[in-house]
This record gives sequence, structure tokens and C-alpha cells, in this order.
Amino acid sequence: MSYPRPTDDPTSPSRERRVKVGVGDLAVVTDDATLTTSGLGSCVAVAVYDPETGARGLLHAMLPTAGGIRTPAPRPAKYVDSGVDTLVSELESVGASRPSMRAWLVGGAEMLDITEAVGPRNVVQAERVLDAASIPVLARDVGDTIGRTVHFAAGGALTVRAADGFERTL
Amino acid sequence: MRVDVRALGACNRLAEYGAQRAADALAELTGTDLAVEVTGASLATGEDLAEAFAGRESVGVSIGLRGGLSGEAVLAFDAAQVDGLLSLLPGGASMGRSAVTEVGNIALGGFLDGWANYLGRAIDMSPPRYLEADGAAVLPDGALTGDGVFLFESRLDATAADLDFAIYMLPDSGPFRDLVVGRTPAAATHGGDSGSTAVPYESLSTFASLAKRGSANAADNIGMMTGLETTVEVSRLRFVPLTDVPTEVGVEPHAGTVFELQGKPSGYLAILFSEQGAANVAAAMLPMEPAEPLGEMAQNALCELGNVMTSGFIDGWANVLGTSISHSPPEFVHDMGSATVSPLVAKLSRRQDYGFVIDAAIQTEGVQARCDVYALPDERELAAALEELSHA
Repeated sequence: MSYPRPTDDPTSPSRERRVKVGVGDLAVVTDDATLTTSGLGSCVAVAVYDPETGARGLLHAMLPTAGGIRTPAPRPAKYVDSGVDTLVSELESVGASRPSMRAWLVGGAEMLDITEAVGPRNVVQAERVLDAASIPVLARDVGDTIGRTVHFAAGGALTVRAADGFERTL
Repeated sequence: MRVDVRALGACNRLAEYGAQRAADALAELTGTDLAVEVTGASLATGEDLAEAFAGRESVGVSIGLRGGLSGEAVLAFDAAQVDGLLSLLPGGASMGRSAVTEVGNIALGGFLDGWANYLGRAIDMSPPRYLEADGAAVLPDGALTGDGVFLFESRLDATAADLDFAIYMLPDSGPFRDLVVGRTPAAATHGGDSGSTAVPYESLSTFASLAKRGSANAADNIGMMTGLETTVEVSRLRFVPLTDVPTEVGVEPHAGTVFELQGKPSGYLAILFSEQGAANVAAAMLPMEPAEPLGEMAQNALCELGNVMTSGFIDGWANVLGTSISHSPPEFVHDMGSATVSPLVAKLSRRQDYGFVIDAAIQTEGVQARCDVYALPDERELAAALEELSHA
């Protein structure tokens, strides 16, 4: 049995599609869906956009590097280094070209004293990996001691909302 | 008989995969984007579950399972959301009960396909049974009578509509135990290795009592400190992917305290109130109304409360496990809840992908403040403590 999808109905009002990116996760879109990730504390979000094809991707990584860490089930998006590599590969697999990719960095706050500055180390690692991949970082909203939420819309418009309600477009 | 707690990780991934299949099936049916928010395995006593589900009204579908897995699975919607669900379906509200039954059947079929693929054996489903239930009556038969039963729970969220639902599966304990034990790596079954996460199967019910004892002690300590009657509303222990914890805490502003635990086990403990709840509890503790709701005076009060609760919590653990545990000074936090817990989760993630989360909701009489306690122990150290306990 098949059912009509309400969104396929040309007479129905169009709804903005949102794709949520969880912690230790990433997503790539080629349509006009908005990529979102919320509750960034010490984690870092890496947003990458290829203006030639319109492809966009968003990564929400927790830790700087997978090197030396033994876990039962490696999950590349959990780490900044393997996460950025996977994000770039997935963008390339949908037709994006690395030389035209642009990036934004958000998050990496120092939320707690008891957890040894994992946030700033995430940011340093993201800068390093993107530099090695020759992907320029257009803008950053990183560090400090505040949580953030990211909306990455079509055309590469990236909005950051901080826990104190302050909102800015990078 | 021994079981590796990491084998529960494999089962949990499976439940997550199954939940994703259920979400896909429902998305296809309704044309709505659905995301799997959280999947967790609970280990709880019937009494704990009855408390956790008190006051909920659910509508859903139940099916019996035979073959690769036996037991019962239930898909439940919050009763208040059923109209929202029906409005998404072809045919709309006029379909009522039959629509809910069909949606539940399709989603549960997707969920169980994931398990059947993993097991390499077909799972037979009995015809779906529509149900309306109050409180814990929505859970599969037997969930309330067991002493330390496993319950898989997945929560799905519709991104474009106000709709979420949960799938609960209670496998029959005998065959499920064989499944978990059968998936336990041979190296882990011999113990003795400092990195082992294998514990005797019988010790698993001790986990459930950790949640209960810790929360009860914390509540007693608040009662002694404030003179107000304090009760534990919910207390249960769940096994969840660590990356799901921030999502569960949510992005709403929270205030409270976090602690690092040292000893066996080490780990972290976070005590989080809503912003208003934190201000209310601080005001109740201070002799006069503070100038700022969450200013320095209020922060000091919340740190003192956190100290008292945390020492109660870990004393409860230490009593159950027969170990010694201490805690760092409190660190005041005031931010999005998920942002606050993310560094704790990141730190633990270096050594483990899944965590035992002890959820406790504690309520003090006459104060509009409920707090949630998230206790995140190191899984190897917890397994080692349980192992030692089984020899005592």
C-alpha cells in the first residue's frame, strides 16, 4: 500500500525542512534544508559550504582527535580530525569540489573548570585539520564560557544563537 | 554466568537501528521528517517503572514476539498527541483507532526488522492490539513484576510537527540473557583483566539499586539541611549512548552544580534545575530574598545544596558497592543544559561509547523546584566494583 506524501502535494504550503545534527554526528544536504545543531558547549561545530554546487555539511564533534583512543565502536564524527575528513569526503561524494569549499567554526567553549579545556583544544584541532585540507575558515564564533545553537541555511547563511539569547549571523 | 556490559552496547545499537527503521516507515506514511532522538536500555525494578510512568496517559499498539526474539513490544504515543498524529495521516481524524493501530504496526515492523537482520532469524509478530493505558500499564506485560528487567526505549521526534513517541520492548529474560551472554566476547568472560567490563549476570540488578540508594540518600540530606520534606519522584538507571545524553538534557537554560567523582567508580555528577527552579530553591535556602535571582548568594546556596546532595548520592553508592568514593568541590553552572553536560560526556567518551546514566528527579515540599541528577560513572571501574562485590 502506498500513501501520498503531504509534502508532495503542490497545493500544500511548503514547510521548511530541518535536518538535526546530534552530538558526534554529521549531515550533508544538497537541497534547501536547514542544518541545525543545538547545545554546543565544549563541542565544536564545523560547517562547510561549496557555493559552486550549493552542497552544505555540518559536523558536531566532541573530542579533538581519535588518535590513541581505543573504543569498541569508532564513530568518526565524534572526533574533530576524523569528523572533518568524513564530512569533506561526503561533500565530495555529492559533487562538491574541495577547492571551492568554505568553512565556519562555532563552539569550543570552556564550560567547566573540571574538564581540562577540551573546548579550546577542539577549536585548535579544527583549525589545523581545515588548514591541512586547504579549506579557508570564513568566520568563527568560538571559545568563551557559553553554550550555542547553530542554524546553517541554504546559501551558506550561518546563524549562531547563544544561551543568553544573543543571536548573530556569521 | 557472566555478561559483558559492552554486549548491551551491541543490543542498544540494534535498538537504535530498529528505531530508525520505524522512523523511516512512519516518515513515509505521514510525509513528516522524523528523527530518532534517544535510544536507551533501562534496567529497573517494577516499582521504579511504576513511579517513572505515574500520571502519563498513553495510546498505542502492542504486539507479541516469537522466533528470533520472544517477549512483547509496545509503541506508545502520549494521549495528548494523538490528534496531531491523526492530522498527519491520509484520512485524518476519522480513522481514529484503526489509524493508530496501522501506524503502530508499520513502525514496530520496521523496528523488529532491524533486530531480525542482526540475529539472522525471523521474528514473528502477533496481530497488533490497540491499547489505551494510564501510567505504567502501557509497558509490556511483566515489566512491573520483574526484579531488574531490561527495557529498550526509543524516543522519536517529528521535526516539522509536535509528535513524538516511544517504543518499549521487554524481551523474555531467559532467551534475551542467552542472546546477551552469547554476544559477550570470550576474552571478557574470564574477568581478571583491569579493562574488563564483564560482570556476573546476577550483579546487574545491583545497578538498579545504585540509582535508588543514591537518590534516596541525596533526598534525605536535603531534608536534614532544609527541614523540608524531600522526596525522590523518579529514579532509574539506563544504559545509553553517551552522545545522546546532551540531547536528553535539552537546550533549555539550566542552573546547578557539577562534580567530579574520584574513587571506585570515578566519573561525574550533575545536578540541574530549570533557571526558575534554581532561583526558587536558592531563595528558600537564604534568610532574605537575594538581590539577583542567580547572583553570588544564590550560587553559594546552590553549591552548598549540591555538596550535600552529592555526598548523599555517593555514600549510597559506596554502601552498595563497598568502595570509597569522594567528590571535587562544586562547580556552579548556568547555561543551556546540553552545553553544560557536553564536556563531561566528552571526557568520558575517551574510554567508552555508552554510559550508565542514573536519572533521579528530586522534589522538595513547598518549593517549586525539581532537579534532575545525572550520574555518569566510568563503566570499567563500575564493572570492577560489581565484580568485587560478587566475590564478597
